[in-house]
Amino acid sequence: MRKIIQVKCSLAAALIAASLSAGAASAADEIVIGASLPLSGPLAGFGSFQQWGYKRAVDEVNKAGGITVDGQKRPVKLIIRDDKTDPNQTAANTETLISRDHVVAMLGSCTPVLVNAGALVADRAKKPLVTGCDPLEAFKSVRKWNYVWDIFFDEPDLANAELKAVEESGAKTNKKLAIWHDNGPDGQVVGGKLWPEVAKSFGYEVVQNAEFPVDNQQFTSIIGEAKSKGADVVLVDAITPQAVAIRKQMAAAGYTPKVLNIEKGAEPVQFAEALGKLSDGVLVGGYWDPSFPYPDAADLAKAFESETKLSSSQHIADSYAAVQVLLDAIAAAGSTDPEKINAALAKTDKTYVVGPVKFDENHTAKLPIVALQWQGGKTVIVWPKSAKAGEFLFPLP
Amino acid sequence: MPDPGVALSTIASGVLLGGMLALAALGLSIVLGVMRLVNLAHGDFLLVGAYAGLFFFEVTGVDPLIGLPVIGLLIAALAIPLYRFLLQPLAERGAEAQMMTMFAVAIILENAFVLAFSADTRSIAVSYAALPLTLGVVTIPLVYVIGFAISVVAILIVHWLVSRTAFGRDLRAAAVDPEAAATIGVDVKRVRMLTFALGAACAGVGGTLIGTAFQFTPASGGAYLLNSLAIVVLGGLGNVIGTLFGGLALGALQSLGGLALGDGYRDLVGMALFLIVLAFRPEGFARGQA
Amino acid sequence: MIKERPVAAPREAAIIAVAFAGLWFAPLVLGEYWLQLGFRTLIYLALAEGWNLMAGSAGLVSLGTSCFVGVGAYVAYGFLNGFSLPLPVALIASAVAGAAVAAVVSPALFRLRGLYFTVGTLALAELLRLLMINVSAFGGASGIFLKSDPPPLPILFHYALVVALIAALALTLCVRTRASVIFRSVRDDEDAAAQMGVRSYRVKLAAFSLASALAAMAGAVQAVKLGAIEPYGMFGLQWSIDVLTMVIIGGMGMRLGPLVGALFVIALGETLADYPEAHIAIAGVILIVLIRVAPRGIAGLASSLRIAASKRAPA
Repeated sequence: MRKIIQVKCSLAAALIAASLSAGAASAADEIVIGASLPLSGPLAGFGSFQQWGYKRAVDEVNKAGGITVDGQKRPVKLIIRDDKTDPNQTAANTETLISRDHVVAMLGSCTPVLVNAGALVADRAKKPLVTGCDPLEAFKSVRKWNYVWDIFFDEPDLANAELKAVEESGAKTNKKLAIWHDNGPDGQVVGGKLWPEVAKSFGYEVVQNAEFPVDNQQFTSIIGEAKSKGADVVLVDAITPQAVAIRKQMAAAGYTPKVLNIEKGAEPVQFAEALGKLSDGVLVGGYWDPSFPYPDAADLAKAFESETKLSSSQHIADSYAAVQVLLDAIAAAGSTDPEKINAALAKTDKTYVVGPVKFDENHTAKLPIVALQWQGGKTVIVWPKSAKAGEFLFPLP
Repeated sequence: MPDPGVALSTIASGVLLGGMLALAALGLSIVLGVMRLVNLAHGDFLLVGAYAGLFFFEVTGVDPLIGLPVIGLLIAALAIPLYRFLLQPLAERGAEAQMMTMFAVAIILENAFVLAFSADTRSIAVSYAALPLTLGVVTIPLVYVIGFAISVVAILIVHWLVSRTAFGRDLRAAAVDPEAAATIGVDVKRVRMLTFALGAACAGVGGTLIGTAFQFTPASGGAYLLNSLAIVVLGGLGNVIGTLFGGLALGALQSLGGLALGDGYRDLVGMALFLIVLAFRPEGFARGQA
Repeated sequence: MIKERPVAAPREAAIIAVAFAGLWFAPLVLGEYWLQLGFRTLIYLALAEGWNLMAGSAGLVSLGTSCFVGVGAYVAYGFLNGFSLPLPVALIASAVAGAAVAAVVSPALFRLRGLYFTVGTLALAELLRLLMINVSAFGGASGIFLKSDPPPLPILFHYALVVALIAALALTLCVRTRASVIFRSVRDDEDAAAQMGVRSYRVKLAAFSLASALAAMAGAVQAVKLGAIEPYGMFGLQWSIDVLTMVIIGGMGMRLGPLVGALFVIALGETLADYPEAHIAIAGVILIVLIRVAPRGIAGLASSLRIAASKRAPA
């Protein structure tokens, strides 16, 4: 009897060991790339957009037959793992993908904290990693990257865009400005450092600069203070749940400034859906909109909405482009050798669905910012003049 | 120095908000008081109420606050089999087994929400959800006043249930001494099951209120669990009216903390307060049963 | 209570020492993937052993592990970045810091018994996390980065091994020696123990400080491996929950419980991660089933099977 139990236990152990080492078994001729994404936890919203973008780009390449490497056309296999919005898990996932699944390259997670966790592992393991969803200043402040490449916007551009939009439209305000920002990495940069400088350069008086935790729920005293100081312009940097809360609580507190800009959080369509009419007039900086004149831009958003029956966000484009950049580099290198892929990435110079992508010496490719404004449940480009698609709605309804 | 109008509005809003949270916390309190169960899925029960209210609103177009009794009964009905099949068999084992089971339920619920509703931020956009109410120099969100009123009514109903009915008497007996209660004929198993259902219903109804006044995502549950714990400790485990005062106190003190140190410190003030009360008077401030 | 065959402390310590000595050479034999899994298991093992020490021995059920993991991480970075000291020194500093924090909060925490203590540790962990997010001197929500590159994986593996070894030996000391009687008396009935002359406060403090020091060291090693830390990752509640999951699954109060639990949780996590769509729900279901089916955890299940087997016909 004892022996049977011992045998059973050993079998169980062996099974577990086998399943661990088998993992996602890959065919010998597949080009394997990996990604760790927040598919659960607070950032699950971002993760789902990225997952769709990553998968779609890989599917399209495979439909066209794959990539030619070492003279042979080979399919691409994408392995995605959930990091549960935990940087410890992002690092662990990246390690597994590199050491067990032998990925030739990685794709990044979302938001600086998670991207950093995976990128540090990849950089040390000398595996190329292409990422979006990581503002450039935050990306550059970590270290001098060797194998990690970032395609995203630059925080100073974001900080400038809205005020430029207001100035150029000729709208008159009392030049009193309130800044509310979360204390995540880009919130601290944009709200704590850049906006005060930009505001001053445009001649605004910063009457309030309030910081709050990323997952804050209550904004009563922040709103109250701005209201009592009579600020006509309010600049906010927060993620979507907080963006919705802020807009709602402002209305409930009877505070309607003339200009309201909510970075990050007001971009996805779910912001407008959650608020209905309250979203009208809210400004947000975007690095992509389906109306952009780049290849496949409009189709991408339509495909997302018809496939998932959900509302889209610019993050589908950034992730889609990131994969294309990586796969193009692998094709250009004609090899799965990490060094050759890395060298090919450095030479990237092409226009993708997000616009022209070319990496500078800091491994960053800048996506220019436009100022979008919610009007009737849709985003309208109101700045710069060259891309303008509609009139700037002023003041906030 | 903040403007007096701002200060008063902030404190008033905080107190009203605290009252709303008290209803949600009540569910946790009675479950803790009667069953000694730290319900780690409490925040997700709240979300069940919020999503149920959202669904109700989108499908019927009827204001979910009118449908609150229906939502409450529905959640209670779902909680009963949950208790019967998951928690009751573990009743004799230590508190950790039940606690971890509820944690497992919490993560299953979170996954279910993502699958059913996506991870998008949601809000129950009833027409009055963002209207201000101005009384002199004080401006407070109208929906807070409505939510507060509903919350107080619900808490009073539960208080009546617990202090004036036979069920309430059995509940209190089972809470104080289950073995003694069993000897005098109280069906402790049934009482616990109904208590769990009542707690879930309170959490769910509180969640619908919160979904109307604020916004939520599948991951929002955890923050509400901690807030509720703080209110429960302030008010005293299992003490119904105490929970209301605990909520009011927490709301007021969080607002003061937010005014003094900045809104970012609200939660921190709440936790600090929580720990202080735990350290010096774990049974809470209000006198009462359990 | 399941009766385990009692093992004398010196014999158990010897077994542990031999096992860890063998594992020392793992980097020479194992591939990188297994080494990484081994690293994570060792970190988790250290946390679980410490937790078991507190709860199984002294009756302190804690949800505050994340507090000490975070403290260890940040203190280690402070010493490595600020003073450029070698890693062992930073680890010792983390351990001391963890124990110090435990000592500072215990006068308040130990006023709480049972359920209230558990809730109190949860509040403490959250409080510290919120503090770290708000206070920009420690990096705020952006966190801090390790200035120099972390050592290569084999060396980190050795560090994790040492921390886990200390944890295992500490638990042996508390469970297999005469000290275990004192611990258990405090766990079972604190007031009666006090009547018998046991200084229960000191006993609890010893267990709590030791467990906290171990958690801090584990957090420090994990932090060094990551290269970048911030409050959500190092002070997050997932640490507290993971430890509790391990101990429940492995078997509370069972000597091999932490090891079995750590192995199971890591293996399950890795296997399920290949199914990102529903892995969380599946993990929840498995947890519920295991709690139902194995009251004493997997180690307890194995133990009772073995006892049942030995009671039947001879093998």
